Amino acid sequence: MRNRSKFTIVLFIIGFMAAVQYNTVQNPKERDTRDIWAIRNELAAEKQLHLELLSEIRELDKTIYTYESSEDENTRHALLETVDKLYEQAGMTDMEGPGIVMEVRPSPESIAYGMPINGISADLLTRFVNELNRFKGHSLEIDGKRITTLSAIRDINGKTTVNGLNIATPPFKIKVMTQTFAESEKLYNLLLASSIQDDFYLDNLILEVNEPSEHIKIRGWTERFTNLYLHELPEGE
Amino acid sequence: MWLPLLGLILGVALGLLSDIQVPEVYGNYLSIAVLAALDTLLGGIRAHLQQVYDDKVFVTGFFFNIALAAGLAFLGVHLGVDLYLAAVFAFGVRLFQNIAVIRRILLAKWTERSKGSETNASD
Repeated sequence: MRNRSKFTIVLFIIGFMAAVQYNTVQNPKERDTRDIWAIRNELAAEKQLHLELLSEIRELDKTIYTYESSEDENTRHALLETVDKLYEQAGMTDMEGPGIVMEVRPSPESIAYGMPINGISADLLTRFVNELNRFKGHSLEIDGKRITTLSAIRDINGKTTVNGLNIATPPFKIKVMTQTFAESEKLYNLLLASSIQDDFYLDNLILEVNEPSEHIKIRGWTERFTNLYLHELPEGE
Repeated sequence: MWLPLLGLILGVALGLLSDIQVPEVYGNYLSIAVLAALDTLLGGIRAHLQQVYDDKVFVTGFFFNIALAAGLAFLGVHLGVDLYLAAVFAFGVRLFQNIAVIRRILLAKWTERSKGSETNASD
């Protein structure tokens, strides 16, 4: 009887091990079917991310350095500088710099046929903004309304709005500001090659992209930011 | 006869249901451990049939063989030699030998029994 129970235990262990082994062999990870270019693309995306993170780290290091190196009196100054920079990043300030001015106009065909001129649809505008967002580091203003991370493009009672304000019936202007003039040129070429022009044409509109210029001016976000999550601590804590 | 089989089924069921997976790196160790365990088991059955079965030999052999096989595989990985193949070979050969011996014993018993029943019938 004792032999039998030992055999049972041993067989139990063997069965368990065999089953685990079976599990291991039978459940291979999802087969990797990517070819070299797919992997390269992924690698490129990761590298891009790496680059962005590095530049962010550098920026933050610079800020830390400013804080540390400045005297106590200057700390206030450094903080104010940071606040200014953050305001600028958030799109609250008016800005000047190189960029492109575009104009959305009704297409000549629709004018010739006497079609009613409809405003730009919210879908098309969103698509256009997304298309522009493929290009990093730009500031955008649509018909005098600054686009920030908080901006919403919505259809309100058939009127397309940005930040809750109506967009004018075409023609109206769209301004994109970039960091450098070279980037403006790049964006200009990107827009010329983009299929977004066709999308505009389908809506009987034309997106006229002007040559990049050294100086354009865009307005800041005019409304207040509402802060829901951060609270100011009482002084002395 | 049925209790050990029940143990086997229980073990397999538990292993399959718990869905435990060993990392690929340790797959070798487990496979060789399974082989060593099977070898010991068949050795035990053979010894049982040959009436030389000893509890201690069986149980210590079971764990020692598993440990030795895994250790050998481990050493092989660190020496850069596929030493686990040696264990696979050794256990494989012994497995076949044990099965052969078990088969012969069972065959002999069977023929003896049929002979016995024949003589009984002729009596």
